[in-house]
Amino acid sequence: MAELIRPGERDEDRHDRTRLVPWVDFGRIDSAKVLVVGAGALGNEAVKDLALFGFHHLDVLDMDSVVRSNLSRCVLFREGDQSSGKGKASLVAERARELDPELQVTAIEGRVQSLGPEEMKRYDIILGCLDNVTARLHMNANAYHARVPYVDGGTDGFRGRVQAVVPPMTPCLQCGMNRSHFRILERRFSCTGQDTVFYQPKRAAEITTTSIIAAVQVREAVKILSGRPAISHVMHYDGVAGTSEVLALDIDPGCPNHALAKLS
Amino acid sequence: MVVRVRVRNAETGATVDMELEMENTVEEIIEGVSAYWEKDPGAYVIRKGRRLLRGQQKVQELEIQANEELELIPDPEGGNR
Repeated sequence: MAELIRPGERDEDRHDRTRLVPWVDFGRIDSAKVLVVGAGALGNEAVKDLALFGFHHLDVLDMDSVVRSNLSRCVLFREGDQSSGKGKASLVAERARELDPELQVTAIEGRVQSLGPEEMKRYDIILGCLDNVTARLHMNANAYHARVPYVDGGTDGFRGRVQAVVPPMTPCLQCGMNRSHFRILERRFSCTGQDTVFYQPKRAAEITTTSIIAAVQVREAVKILSGRPAISHVMHYDGVAGTSEVLALDIDPGCPNHALAKLS
Repeated sequence: MVVRVRVRNAETGATVDMELEMENTVEEIIEGVSAYWEKDPGAYVIRKGRRLLRGQQKVQELEIQANEELELIPDPEGGNR
Protein backbone atom coordinates (compact mmCIF):
# COMPACT_ATOMS: atom_id res chain seq x y z
CA MET A 1 0.00 0.00 0.00
CA ALA A 2 1.35 3.45 -0.95
CA GLU A 3 2.43 5.90 1.78
CA LEU A 4 -0.18 8.51 2.66
CA ILE A 5 0.91 12.16 2.64
CA ARG A 6 -0.89 15.49 3.17
CA PRO A 7 -0.16 18.90 1.61
CA GLY A 8 2.03 21.03 3.88
CA GLU A 9 2.74 18.27 6.39
CA ARG A 10 6.49 18.80 6.19
CA ASP A 11 6.04 22.28 7.59
CA GLU A 12 4.61 20.73 10.74
CA ASP A 13 7.98 19.15 11.55
CA ARG A 14 9.93 21.84 13.41
CA HIS A 15 13.26 20.36 12.28
CA ASP A 16 12.35 19.69 8.65
CA ARG A 17 14.80 22.21 7.19
CA THR A 18 17.67 21.12 9.42
CA ARG A 19 17.04 17.50 8.39
CA LEU A 20 17.86 18.55 4.82
CA VAL A 21 21.54 18.84 5.83
CA PRO A 22 22.58 15.40 4.57
CA TRP A 23 25.34 14.52 7.03
CA VAL A 24 23.60 15.45 10.29
CA ASP A 25 22.83 12.31 12.30
CA PHE A 26 19.47 13.37 13.69
CA GLY A 27 18.94 10.12 15.57
CA ARG A 28 22.17 10.78 17.47
CA ILE A 29 21.31 14.44 18.05
CA ASP A 30 17.89 13.43 19.39
CA SER A 31 19.27 10.84 21.83
CA ALA A 32 22.55 12.53 22.86
CA LYS A 33 22.93 13.63 26.47
CA VAL A 34 24.69 17.00 26.58
CA LEU A 35 26.17 18.85 29.54
CA VAL A 36 26.50 22.63 29.28
CA VAL A 37 28.84 23.94 31.96
CA GLY A 38 28.14 27.59 32.64
CA ALA A 39 24.76 29.28 32.15
CA GLY A 40 26.02 32.80 31.54
CA ALA A 41 26.59 34.50 28.20
CA LEU A 42 28.00 31.56 26.22
CA GLY A 43 25.78 29.07 28.08
CA ASN A 44 22.59 30.99 27.19
CA GLU A 45 23.51 31.03 23.51
CA ALA A 46 24.65 27.41 23.49
CA VAL A 47 21.45 26.15 25.15
CA LYS A 48 19.32 28.22 22.77
CA ASP A 49 21.16 26.75 19.77
CA LEU A 50 21.05 23.19 21.13
CA ALA A 51 17.30 23.45 21.76
CA LEU A 52 16.58 24.90 18.33
CA PHE A 53 18.85 22.41 16.58
CA GLY A 54 16.90 19.44 17.94
CA PHE A 55 18.84 18.22 20.98
CA HIS A 56 16.44 16.83 23.58
CA HIS A 57 18.52 15.87 26.62
CA LEU A 58 20.46 18.66 28.33
CA ASP A 59 21.90 19.26 31.77
CA VAL A 60 22.97 22.83 32.60
CA LEU A 61 25.36 23.53 35.46
CA ASP A 62 26.03 26.88 37.12
CA MET A 63 26.40 28.10 40.69
CA ASP A 64 25.62 31.79 40.07
CA SER A 65 22.55 33.98 40.05
CA VAL A 66 21.67 36.67 37.52
CA VAL A 67 22.86 40.27 37.79
CA ARG A 68 21.40 43.03 35.63
CA SER A 69 24.60 43.46 33.60
CA ASN A 70 24.12 39.90 32.27
CA LEU A 71 21.02 40.99 30.35
CA SER A 72 22.95 42.51 27.42
CA ARG A 73 24.30 39.10 26.44
CA CYS A 74 21.89 36.47 27.75
CA VAL A 75 18.97 35.77 25.43
CA LEU A 76 17.18 33.56 27.98
CA PHE A 77 17.23 36.01 30.90
CA ARG A 78 14.60 38.69 31.47
CA GLU A 79 14.37 41.97 33.34
CA GLY A 80 13.47 41.02 36.90
CA ASP A 81 15.35 37.69 36.88
CA GLN A 82 18.03 39.34 39.01
CA SER A 83 15.57 39.58 41.90
CA SER A 84 13.75 36.28 41.30
CA GLY A 85 15.94 34.29 43.67
CA LYS A 86 16.43 31.67 40.97
CA GLY A 87 19.85 30.57 39.80
CA LYS A 88 21.13 31.01 36.26
CA ALA A 89 20.94 27.27 35.56
CA SER A 90 17.28 27.05 36.63
CA LEU A 91 16.30 30.08 34.57
CA VAL A 92 18.09 28.78 31.49
CA ALA A 93 16.37 25.39 31.87
CA GLU A 94 12.96 27.02 32.33
CA ARG A 95 13.30 29.29 29.27
CA ALA A 96 14.80 26.54 27.11
CA ARG A 97 11.63 24.48 27.68
CA GLU A 98 9.67 27.40 26.23
CA LEU A 99 11.74 27.07 23.04
CA ASP A 100 10.92 23.36 22.76
CA PRO A 101 8.43 21.77 25.15
CA GLU A 102 9.84 18.32 24.28
CA LEU A 103 13.25 19.32 25.60
CA GLN A 104 14.29 17.42 28.74
CA VAL A 105 16.58 19.87 30.51
CA THR A 106 17.81 19.65 34.07
CA ALA A 107 19.38 22.50 36.02
CA ILE A 108 22.29 21.66 38.29
CA GLU A 109 22.95 24.48 40.76
CA GLY A 110 26.49 23.68 41.76
CA ARG A 111 30.19 24.03 41.28
CA VAL A 112 32.18 22.73 38.34
CA GLN A 113 34.43 20.93 40.83
CA SER A 114 31.48 18.75 41.90
CA LEU A 115 31.83 16.86 38.61
CA GLY A 116 34.43 14.13 38.33
CA PRO A 117 35.09 11.62 35.55
CA GLU A 118 32.32 9.27 36.75
CA GLU A 119 29.69 12.01 36.48
CA MET A 120 31.05 13.07 33.10
CA LYS A 121 30.76 9.55 31.69
CA ARG A 122 26.97 10.05 31.71
CA TYR A 123 27.27 12.49 28.83
CA ASP A 124 27.89 12.09 25.12
CA ILE A 125 29.43 15.54 24.84
CA ILE A 126 30.23 18.47 27.13
CA LEU A 127 30.27 22.17 26.23
CA GLY A 128 32.46 24.43 28.37
CA CYS A 129 30.95 27.95 28.62
CA LEU A 130 33.19 29.14 31.44
CA ASP A 131 35.07 32.26 32.42
CA ASN A 132 38.23 31.12 34.14
CA VAL A 133 41.26 28.91 33.67
CA THR A 134 40.69 26.94 36.89
CA ALA A 135 37.27 25.66 35.86
CA ARG A 136 38.49 24.96 32.34
CA LEU A 137 41.40 22.87 33.58
CA HIS A 138 39.02 20.86 35.79
CA MET A 139 36.56 20.17 32.97
CA ASN A 140 39.32 19.47 30.46
CA ALA A 141 41.12 16.92 32.64
CA ASN A 142 38.02 15.10 33.88
CA ALA A 143 36.30 14.97 30.50
CA TYR A 144 39.55 13.70 28.97
CA HIS A 145 39.79 10.89 31.52
CA ALA A 146 36.12 10.07 31.05
CA ARG A 147 36.82 9.95 27.27
CA VAL A 148 33.98 12.38 26.62
CA PRO A 149 34.44 15.00 23.87
CA TYR A 150 34.75 18.50 25.34
CA VAL A 151 34.17 21.66 23.31
CA ASP A 152 35.42 24.77 25.08
CA GLY A 153 34.58 28.37 24.19
CA GLY A 154 36.06 31.62 25.44
CA THR A 155 35.55 35.31 24.66
CA ASP A 156 37.18 38.63 25.42
CA GLY A 157 35.52 41.62 23.80
CA PHE A 158 35.45 41.03 20.05
CA ARG A 159 37.86 38.09 20.27
CA GLY A 160 36.99 34.48 20.86
CA ARG A 161 38.27 30.95 20.68
CA VAL A 162 36.84 27.45 20.38
CA GLN A 163 38.77 24.24 20.99
CA ALA A 164 37.35 20.78 20.35
CA VAL A 165 38.97 18.06 22.46
CA VAL A 166 38.17 14.54 21.29
CA PRO A 167 39.97 12.00 23.49
CA PRO A 168 42.22 10.23 22.89
CA MET A 169 43.08 11.63 19.45
CA THR A 170 43.46 15.36 19.92
CA PRO A 171 45.49 17.72 22.09
CA CYS A 172 43.63 19.01 25.13
CA LEU A 173 43.29 22.52 26.56
CA GLN A 174 46.26 22.05 28.87
CA CYS A 175 48.50 21.17 25.89
CA GLY A 176 48.05 24.74 24.63
CA MET A 177 48.49 26.54 27.94
CA ASN A 178 51.66 28.29 29.03
CA ARG A 179 52.93 30.39 31.94
CA SER A 180 50.66 33.32 30.98
CA HIS A 181 47.63 31.11 31.71
CA PHE A 182 49.05 29.90 35.00
CA ARG A 183 49.89 33.48 36.06
CA ILE A 184 46.16 34.17 35.88
CA LEU A 185 45.63 31.29 38.30
CA GLU A 186 48.22 32.77 40.63
CA ARG A 187 46.49 36.16 40.54
CA ARG A 188 43.08 34.56 41.04
CA PHE A 189 44.21 32.77 44.19
CA SER A 190 47.10 34.91 45.33
CA CYS A 191 48.11 34.37 48.95
CA THR A 192 48.80 37.51 50.96
CA GLY A 193 50.18 35.59 53.90
CA GLN A 194 47.04 36.23 55.96
CA ASP A 195 44.36 34.98 53.66
CA THR A 196 43.62 34.13 50.03
CA VAL A 197 42.71 36.97 47.70
CA PHE A 198 40.09 36.01 45.14
CA TYR A 199 40.75 38.07 42.01
CA GLN A 200 38.01 38.13 39.37
CA PRO A 201 38.68 40.76 36.72
CA LYS A 202 35.78 42.34 34.79
CA ARG A 203 36.31 41.51 31.14
CA ALA A 204 34.92 43.16 28.04
CA ALA A 205 32.02 41.11 26.68
CA GLU A 206 29.37 41.68 24.02
CA ILE A 207 26.65 39.66 22.38
CA THR A 208 27.86 39.37 18.76
CA THR A 209 31.09 37.56 19.63
CA THR A 210 29.28 35.53 22.30
CA SER A 211 26.73 34.36 19.70
CA ILE A 212 29.38 33.37 17.19
CA ILE A 213 31.56 31.45 19.64
CA ALA A 214 28.62 29.56 21.19
CA ALA A 215 27.28 28.75 17.72
CA VAL A 216 30.63 27.28 16.71
CA GLN A 217 30.67 25.21 19.91
CA VAL A 218 27.24 23.76 19.13
CA ARG A 219 28.18 23.15 15.50
CA GLU A 220 31.30 21.26 16.60
CA ALA A 221 29.09 19.17 18.91
CA VAL A 222 26.80 18.37 15.97
CA LYS A 223 29.80 17.39 13.82
CA ILE A 224 31.37 15.18 16.48
CA LEU A 225 28.08 13.41 17.28
CA SER A 226 27.41 12.94 13.55
CA GLY A 227 30.77 11.25 13.09
CA ARG A 228 32.49 14.09 11.26
CA PRO A 229 35.94 15.36 12.22
CA ALA A 230 36.02 18.32 14.57
CA ILE A 231 38.15 21.41 13.91
CA SER A 232 41.88 20.70 14.20
CA HIS A 233 42.35 22.11 16.78
CA VAL A 234 41.69 25.68 17.93
CA MET A 235 39.61 28.34 16.18
CA HIS A 236 40.63 31.91 16.94
CA TYR A 237 38.09 34.57 16.01
CA ASP A 238 38.84 38.27 15.56
CA GLY A 239 35.59 40.18 15.28
CA VAL A 240 37.22 43.52 14.49
CA ALA A 241 39.13 42.11 11.52
CA GLY A 242 36.17 39.84 10.66
CA THR A 243 38.41 36.80 10.47
CA SER A 244 38.59 33.36 12.00
CA GLU A 245 41.37 30.84 11.64
CA VAL A 246 41.75 27.26 12.75
CA LEU A 247 45.25 26.68 14.12
CA ALA A 248 46.86 23.32 14.67
CA LEU A 249 48.27 22.34 18.05
CA ASP A 250 50.47 19.39 19.00
CA ILE A 251 49.87 17.10 21.96
CA ASP A 252 52.26 18.21 24.70
CA PRO A 253 54.40 15.18 25.60
CA GLY A 254 54.58 16.57 29.15
CA CYS A 255 50.81 17.05 29.52
CA PRO A 256 49.60 15.01 32.51
CA ASN A 257 46.26 14.26 30.87
CA HIS A 258 47.84 12.40 27.97
CA ALA A 259 50.40 10.65 30.16
CA LEU A 260 47.63 9.35 32.46
CA ALA A 261 45.43 8.38 29.52
CA LYS A 262 48.26 6.19 28.18
CA LEU A 263 48.53 4.41 31.53
CA SER A 264 44.80 3.75 31.90
CA MET B 1 73.65 30.43 17.65
CA VAL B 2 71.21 33.33 17.52
CA VAL B 3 68.19 33.75 15.26
CA ARG B 4 66.29 36.97 14.71
CA VAL B 5 62.50 36.83 14.38
CA ARG B 6 59.77 39.40 14.02
CA VAL B 7 56.82 39.21 16.41
CA ARG B 8 53.50 40.81 15.47
CA ASN B 9 51.01 42.00 18.05
CA ALA B 10 47.67 40.64 16.76
CA GLU B 11 45.72 43.29 18.67
CA THR B 12 47.53 46.35 17.30
CA GLY B 13 49.44 45.16 14.24
CA ALA B 14 52.68 46.48 15.78
CA THR B 15 55.83 44.44 15.27
CA VAL B 16 59.09 44.07 17.14
CA ASP B 17 62.26 42.16 16.24
CA MET B 18 63.64 39.75 18.78
CA GLU B 19 66.97 37.92 18.99
CA LEU B 20 66.58 34.40 20.25
CA GLU B 21 69.00 31.76 21.44
CA MET B 22 68.29 28.15 20.53
CA GLU B 23 67.56 27.45 24.23
CA ASN B 24 64.91 30.16 24.52
CA THR B 25 61.34 28.92 24.95
CA VAL B 26 58.05 30.09 23.52
CA GLU B 27 57.05 31.19 27.02
CA GLU B 28 60.08 33.45 27.11
CA ILE B 29 59.06 34.98 23.78
CA ILE B 30 55.56 35.62 25.16
CA GLU B 31 56.94 37.19 28.32
CA GLY B 32 59.45 39.30 26.39
CA VAL B 33 56.99 40.83 23.95
CA SER B 34 54.21 41.16 26.58
CA ALA B 35 56.56 43.21 28.72
CA TYR B 36 57.73 45.26 25.72
CA TRP B 37 54.17 46.10 24.72
CA GLU B 38 53.06 46.45 28.36
CA LYS B 39 50.22 44.00 27.76
CA ASP B 40 47.46 43.63 30.32
CA PRO B 41 47.75 40.55 32.51
CA GLY B 42 46.07 37.79 30.56
CA ALA B 43 46.66 34.63 28.61
CA TYR B 44 48.52 34.80 25.31
CA VAL B 45 49.67 32.28 22.73
CA ILE B 46 52.12 32.45 19.83
CA ARG B 47 51.35 31.23 16.34
CA LYS B 48 53.81 30.34 13.61
CA GLY B 49 51.91 30.17 10.35
CA ARG B 50 48.89 27.95 10.97
CA ARG B 51 50.37 26.33 14.09
CA LEU B 52 50.06 27.30 17.72
CA LEU B 53 53.34 26.87 19.56
CA ARG B 54 53.48 25.18 22.95
CA GLY B 55 54.93 27.21 25.80
CA GLN B 56 57.79 24.89 26.64
CA GLN B 57 58.97 24.37 23.08
CA LYS B 58 62.50 25.61 22.51
CA VAL B 59 63.54 27.70 19.55
CA GLN B 60 65.71 24.85 18.27
CA GLU B 61 62.58 22.66 17.93
CA LEU B 62 60.59 25.27 16.02
CA GLU B 63 62.51 25.25 12.74
CA ILE B 64 62.38 29.04 12.68
CA GLN B 65 63.98 30.75 9.70
CA ALA B 66 65.80 34.06 10.12
CA ASN B 67 63.37 37.00 10.08
CA GLU B 68 60.37 34.70 10.17
CA GLU B 69 57.23 36.28 11.62
CA LEU B 70 55.47 34.98 14.71
CA GLU B 71 52.23 36.42 16.08
CA LEU B 72 51.17 37.06 19.67
CA ILE B 73 47.43 36.34 20.06
CA PRO B 74 45.28 36.88 23.16
CA ASP B 75 43.75 33.60 24.38
CA PRO B 76 40.27 34.62 25.57
CA GLU B 77 39.10 33.05 28.81
CA GLY B 78 35.82 34.91 29.46
CA GLY B 79 32.31 33.92 28.54
CA ASN B 80 30.25 33.16 31.64
CA ARG B 81 29.54 36.66 32.98
